[in-house]
This record gives sequence, C-alpha cells and structure tokens, in this order.
Amino acid sequence: MLTRVTPMREPTFLILTALAAGPRHGYGLIQEVAALSEQRVTLLPGTLYAALDRLSAQGLVAPDREETVDGRLRRYYRLTPDGVSALDAETARLRQLTTAAEARLRPLRARTA
Amino acid sequence: MPPTGDPLARRYRRLLWCHPRAYRRARGEEMVGVLLDGAPPGRTRPTLREAVDLLRHGLRCRLGRPASRTVGVWATLAAVICGLFTGAAATRVAWETSRPQPDRAEAAALFADVFPGHRLGDVEPATALFTFYSQPLRLRNLDQVLLGDGGEYQQGETLLSAAGAPPTPAGRMLTDTERRLREAGWQVYEPMVSGDSGCTDKWCASIVRFTETTILARRGDTALRVTITSPPQGVSSYLLVSVNRTAPPAVLPAGLLGGLLGAGLGWLAFGWASRRTDAGHPAGGVVTALFGVSMLLWWSPALLTVPHLLGHHLDEPHPSWHPLWEWLGQPALALFFVGGALCALLGLALAALPRHAADPLPTAAAG
Repeated sequence: MLTRVTPMREPTFLILTALAAGPRHGYGLIQEVAALSEQRVTLLPGTLYAALDRLSAQGLVAPDREETVDGRLRRYYRLTPDGVSALDAETARLRQLTTAAEARLRPLRARTA
Repeated sequence: MPPTGDPLARRYRRLLWCHPRAYRRARGEEMVGVLLDGAPPGRTRPTLREAVDLLRHGLRCRLGRPASRTVGVWATLAAVICGLFTGAAATRVAWETSRPQPDRAEAAALFADVFPGHRLGDVEPATALFTFYSQPLRLRNLDQVLLGDGGEYQQGETLLSAAGAPPTPAGRMLTDTERRLREAGWQVYEPMVSGDSGCTDKWCASIVRFTETTILARRGDTALRVTITSPPQGVSSYLLVSVNRTAPPAVLPAGLLGGLLGAGLGWLAFGWASRRTDAGHPAGGVVTALFGVSMLLWWSPALLTVPHLLGHHLDEPHPSWHPLWEWLGQPALALFFVGGALCALLGLALAALPRHAADPLPTAAAG
C-alpha cells in the first residue's frame, strides 16, 4: 500500500531519511532528525509518535524489534519498501526543484558578483 | 517497564491519560522511555511544551485513523455542536436561578411609578419563566413543539395596558417616560419608531397612519418594553408595557461549563466511534453516513438562524440577549435536533458491534 502524501512535510521527510540509515528507536530518531536538520527541527515525542502512527498506517514504516535498556522499553522502527519508494520519490521531487532554482540563480549570482 | 517511583516518569505517565487505553498499553512505556531519555538530569516535572504536545497528540490519537487529514475537522464539528447544545441546555437550567417573572403587584407598582396620571387597564401576569403560547410548557405540548410551533416557546412576560384616553400627547408621553425611567435608575435604550396604517375605531370606518414608539429599559434583573401608539388604534390601548427578567448571572458560567463538558464528551464519543469503525467493522459505512446526517441536522438550524438573529440583534437594542438555544434554531426546529440525536445514537450503537478481525497494526490506537 503506497498512499504517500505529496509534498511531504519536512519532519516526515527527515524521519524517513533518518530511518534510511537503518532501524532506529524513538529517542534515536529525535536525535537523528535534529542532526540532519542542523538542530532546526526538534521533534517532541507527541509529534514524533503522531508521525510514526501516520507513517505506519500508510505502510511507509513498520516496527522492527524491541529491547529494554536501563529499564526503559525501546522499540525500533524501519523503512518498508513502500517507505523507501516514497522517500526516493520525494528526494527526486526536491532535487528537481533544487536544480531548477539553481539554474535560475546562477546568472543572478554572476551579475551581482 | 513497570511503574517506578521516579516522579518525572509518574508525571509523564499521567499526561498519557489523554491517549486511549489501548494506545497507552501498546505505546505508553515506550513513549515514557523516550521522554525520560530526552529529559536533562535533575528535571522533575514535564515542560509546558511537552505537556501541550502530549495533550495534542493524545486528543488526536483518540480519533484513530492516523493517516486521515480530515478526521480532526469532523471531530471538531461534532465537538463544537455537542458543546453548543449542552451549553444551551445548561443555560436553560441556570435560568431557574432567576427570580420569578414580575407578578401583578410588582408590575402594577412599576406602572404607577413610571406612568403617573395614566390609568392601569388590563394586567396579564406571566404564567412561567418560559412559556409556550403564553402558557407553561406541558408534556402534552411536545408534539406541537416538535411539529413546527417550537418558536412559540419564549420567555414569559407580564403585560400591562393603560385604560382610557391618553392624558398627554404622544411626544410628551415619550419624553416624560424616558425622564422618569432614568430618574428611577433604569438604563434606557434609544427609542425605536415605526409607522403603519390602521383603523381608528373598531368598525374601521377610516384608515389612518399611526406611529409606534418603543422604549426599552433595564434595571437590575428586570427588562421593560413600553409601546406608545399614536393615534390609538381601534380598541387597542395607546400604551402597552411588558416586563420580564433578564438572564441571571449563573447563565454565563453554566453555559461555558456545560459547553466545555459537552464538547469534551462529543470529542470522546466521536473518537470512540471513529476508532471502532476504522477498519474491519461490519457497519463502518452506515455509521459514517449516520454521522453525516446527524451533523447536517444539527448544524443546519444553527447556520440558518445565526445570521437572522444577529441581524435582529444589530437592528434594535436588547436589554438581554436571546437565549443560546434560540441561536441554535431551537426549539423552533426541534425536529431537526431530535432527528440528528436519533442518527447519532444509532451510529454509536452500530459502532459498538463487534469488528470482523483484530487491528492488524500492533501499535495502532484501537478500543
């Protein structure tokens, strides 16, 4: 099932990107998203789990495994094949936009240089 | 992870009570773990931002259907209309804290104070705080209320009229009345003047133009409406007075509390039915259709009435606002309300039917 919403919101894109490196637990996802966005996007747990619920329902992520560390339950999530396709499509869309913007900016930069 | 004595963990767990029970079972400890992992050492209380975030997620989570972008809008529509109806019901209950409508003695004393020199004619005391065709509402009137006459359920009023011929010209009567009312501590509103054609005697031998001047005033919990007709029409009195009570102070807080309670219950009921019928429910489609019909039947009277009543409020001064239920088109369109309530109840009953299969997502909110 692939019911990706286009365009993807930035936190969703960052969560999928974080999971592209491998399964991660909730707190790991928050840290990875902050690192990917250079601390611009700081997910709160409620927001993170709302996104995970939505992405799970859309079939883009799935629970991977569980472990308990220092008495705290950690559930890992992974990208599904549909999630990989959705991230791939969104990356292509953003790349196309970036390329178009770059092409128009280049002459402007040259003129103002 | 079993509950620990950590006060921060306990407080985070308490905040998760906004989430449905099944979700708390599936995800609660995992979320508490993430919250504790992110908390700096020494923190003993959740931050306001965390609390708001968890509350928002919990309320959204109660609606189920995590991939839906419109479920929040439907839930808001349901919660707001439920809140308005329960708020209206609460204000009606709060109206019972009002003093009884002015009786014959109080109204006659008021007439003597404001209209010295005028002879008091008929006095019709109010029969109840709210009346149906000027009589207390009885159970046997229910069919009339439901079948089109609901608009006759209005605040009761004690009516008085002057007898005989006017002792002074209408213009003088108007200025004297306004002056006396102000001297007696009444807040007097701008007079409203309207004109029409009518008969001068009961045989209607000749048609003349007449002017009706209405003065509205308020003092404490009593509102007064004075109508001076010049020249007097047929057998009608040249001076009509009606007195009734304004909304008691308890109405506003009761409406707000009742509204919040109703909105909360509406959100919970919608969320419960939404989660129950998310997937694999035998009556999911019927429940959705019944919900749509109930929203249409509940919202349409309010949406039709509000512009009309707002225009009316802006057109003339009001010592007291119309009761909340009138803004919702009730009980004038009570049949719509009853129809919507039956659809909603049937929808909830059908949502309670057992589902075909368990929710395939181990972490989805269900139940």
